[in-house]
Amino acid sequence: MANIAAQRIKREFKEVIRSEEVAKCAIKVELVDNNYTELKGEIAGPPDTPYEGGNFVLEIKVPETYPFNPPKVRFITKIWHPNISSVTGAICLDILKDQWAAAMTLRTVLLSLQALLAAAEPDDPQDAVVARQYKENLEMFKLTARHWTNAYAGGPSVNPECDDKIKRLVDMGIEEHQARVALSSYNWDLERATEQLFS
Amino acid sequence: MAASHENDSEMDCSDNEDCYEDYNDYYKDEDSDVEHVDPKKTDPEYFEYKCLSEEEVERLLNETVENLSNHLRISLPLAKVLLHSHSWNSIEVIRKYEENPQQTLISARIDPPCPPKNVIFSPTHLTCSVCVTLHHVDRFFHLSCSHMFCKDCWTMHFEVQINQGISTAISCMARDCVVLAPEDFVLKHLQHKTIIREKYQHFTFQDYVKSHPELRFCPGPNCSIIIYSKDIKAKRAFCDQCKTIFCFRCGCDYHAPTDCQVIKKWLTKCADDSETANYISAHTKDCPKCHICIEKNGGCNHMQCYKCKHDFCWMCLGDWKSHGSEYYECSRYRENPNIAHESVHAQAREALKKYLHYYERWENHSKSLKLEEQTLEKLRARINQKVMSGLGTWIDWQYLFTAANLLAKCRYTLQYTYPFAYYMDAGPRKELFEYQQAQLEAEIENLSWKIERAETTDRGDLENQMDIAEKRRTTLLKDFLDV
Repeated sequence: MANIAAQRIKREFKEVIRSEEVAKCAIKVELVDNNYTELKGEIAGPPDTPYEGGNFVLEIKVPETYPFNPPKVRFITKIWHPNISSVTGAICLDILKDQWAAAMTLRTVLLSLQALLAAAEPDDPQDAVVARQYKENLEMFKLTARHWTNAYAGGPSVNPECDDKIKRLVDMGIEEHQARVALSSYNWDLERATEQLFS
Repeated sequence: MAASHENDSEMDCSDNEDCYEDYNDYYKDEDSDVEHVDPKKTDPEYFEYKCLSEEEVERLLNETVENLSNHLRISLPLAKVLLHSHSWNSIEVIRKYEENPQQTLISARIDPPCPPKNVIFSPTHLTCSVCVTLHHVDRFFHLSCSHMFCKDCWTMHFEVQINQGISTAISCMARDCVVLAPEDFVLKHLQHKTIIREKYQHFTFQDYVKSHPELRFCPGPNCSIIIYSKDIKAKRAFCDQCKTIFCFRCGCDYHAPTDCQVIKKWLTKCADDSETANYISAHTKDCPKCHICIEKNGGCNHMQCYKCKHDFCWMCLGDWKSHGSEYYECSRYRENPNIAHESVHAQAREALKKYLHYYERWENHSKSLKLEEQTLEKLRARINQKVMSGLGTWIDWQYLFTAANLLAKCRYTLQYTYPFAYYMDAGPRKELFEYQQAQLEAEIENLSWKIERAETTDRGDLENQMDIAEKRRTTLLKDFLDV
C-alpha cells in the first residue's frame, strides 16, 4: 500500500476517534486489518428519521490511490433506503464517485452518509423498488424503513402487524429475510407478496 | 477503318475544346459570372470542408487561442479554458467577457464563485491536508481558489485523474471546490513524467476537438484525420486518407435524406427488432412462375429465372413488366385505411407489417450494395477477357467503372430513403416522396441491370441511364434533404 494512503488513514482514524461526533456516539471507525486497507465504520440513524435508534455498520475499503480516489463504502447492515441497495448495500452518493475530493476524509464520508439517511434523493436511486415506494407512498416507505431499522439495526420501533405478516410467510416455509423483502416490495400486501413468492 | 475515323474526329473535338478553354481563360474575368455555376444551389449535397492532420488542427486551435488572448489581453492558458468552455466560439467569449469578466471567469470555472479569504502565510512550514505531511511553504501551490496543497500531492492527483481519462475537467483537490486546473498548471506538475504528459496532451486534444462544433474526428479505424468545416450540418464528409464517408454532424454513416435523430431512432429500432427481422434475411425466394429456388447473387432487383426465363421483381415477386415505366409500385407501402377501427392485435400486426415493409427494403438495398461490390470484381475480370480478345481497349471499358460507382452512390441514397419514409407522416408530402423514391428505385434497377449485362461497348445507352438515375437522386435530395 502506498505510503500516503496509510499515513492518511492513520491520521484520519485518530481524527474520527477524537471528533465530537464520537463523543455523541454518532459515528465510529474500527480497524479490520493492521495495514489500514480495510475498516469498519458505524453510523447512528439520524433523529426524526425512520432510521432513528438504529446502528448501521459499513464496510470501508481503502484503495491504493487513496486519497486521490474515494474509499469504497457499502452498508453491511440491511437498510431500506432509495439510494442504498436493499440487496447488496451499495451506495449511490456523488462524493463516493466523481465528486470525491482528495481533501475529504473518512469523517466527511461518514457524516455525508448520515446526511443521506436524513435526506434521500429518490430521483437518483440505487434501489428502484424503494425509490418508487418513496415517491408514490411516503408513509408506507417510512413504515417499511422503520421496520427494517428495527429488524436489522436494533431500532426500537416494533410494528406487530409487519412481524405478524412475516411470521405467516415464515410458517409457509419462506425464509424470514426473503419474506420481508417480498412484503416490503408489495406495500405489505400479504396476498401479492405470497403470489410473487410462489409464482 | 470506321473506328479509327471516329477516334480521329474525337481527337479533333477535344482539340477544339482545348482551344475553347484557352479562349475562355483569356476572357476569364468578364465571363466568369456567366460560366460559373454555383454548386451550393445545384448540388443539394454540396459541402465545403477540409481534411486536416492533428498538427494542422493544433495550429488552428492555437491560432484561435492566440487571437482571443491578444484581443482580451489575457494569458494563453486562460484563453484556452474560456474557449473550451464556450465550444470554441470566440465571438461569444468576447461578448460575455466584455459584458462581465468576473462572471465569465466564474462560470468557466476559472475563478471560484466566492473570492477566497485572504490568508497570511506567516509560518515557514505547513501541513498538506492531503498527505498530512509538514512541508516548507515553498513546496505549496494553489489555483485561483487559494486552496494550498503540496507539489507531490498535485502531481499524484493529476496522475490519478489522467489515468482515468480525465483531462480538461480536472478540478482542485479541496472539498466542494469547482475550480478547474488549467493546462499550464497541470503540465508544470508533470515536468519529469513524459508518458503521463503525453497522455494528458492526447486527452486534452481529444476534448478540444470533440467540443469544437467545426471539427470532427474521422470515424475510420485508426484514422487520425480531422474534418474541418464552417458548415455545421449533416453533410457528406469524405476522408482523404482512409476513404471513410460519414455524416459531419453526428459522425455516423452518411444518411441523407434522413436526419441525424431519425437515423439514430431507426438504427436502434432495427437493432431491437432484429429477432423479427431475422426471418426476412433469407437469401432465397422461389420463382413465382416455375417455383424453382433462386438465390440472389447480384444487386439488381430485376430478376430473371435461369430456368423459365420469367422476369420478375425480387421485392414483390410481381411481373417485372408492370414495374417498367411510369410507376414503380413496389417501394410504396399501402397502409390499411380502416386501421383505426381494427382491434389492438390487428393494429400491432399492422405496425409490424409496416416496419417490416420498410426494413425489408432497407436491408435489401444494403445487401445489394455488397453484392454489387462483387459484381465490380466480376466486371473487372470480364473486361480483362474482352480486352485480351481484342474487343475494345482497356480505356474503352473504363466508363463501366464510373457507372458502377454511380450505381453504388444512388443505391446508398435509396437505402437511406426508407427510414425517412418510415417516420414520415401520411399526406401529400409523403406521397410525393414515395413517388420520387419509386422513380429513383426504378432507374437504379435499370442501371444495375444494364451494368451487369454490358456486353458491347454500347456506351451511350448506359451513360444516358446514369444521367437519369443521378438526376432522380439529386431531385429527391433537393426536395427533401433539409440540413
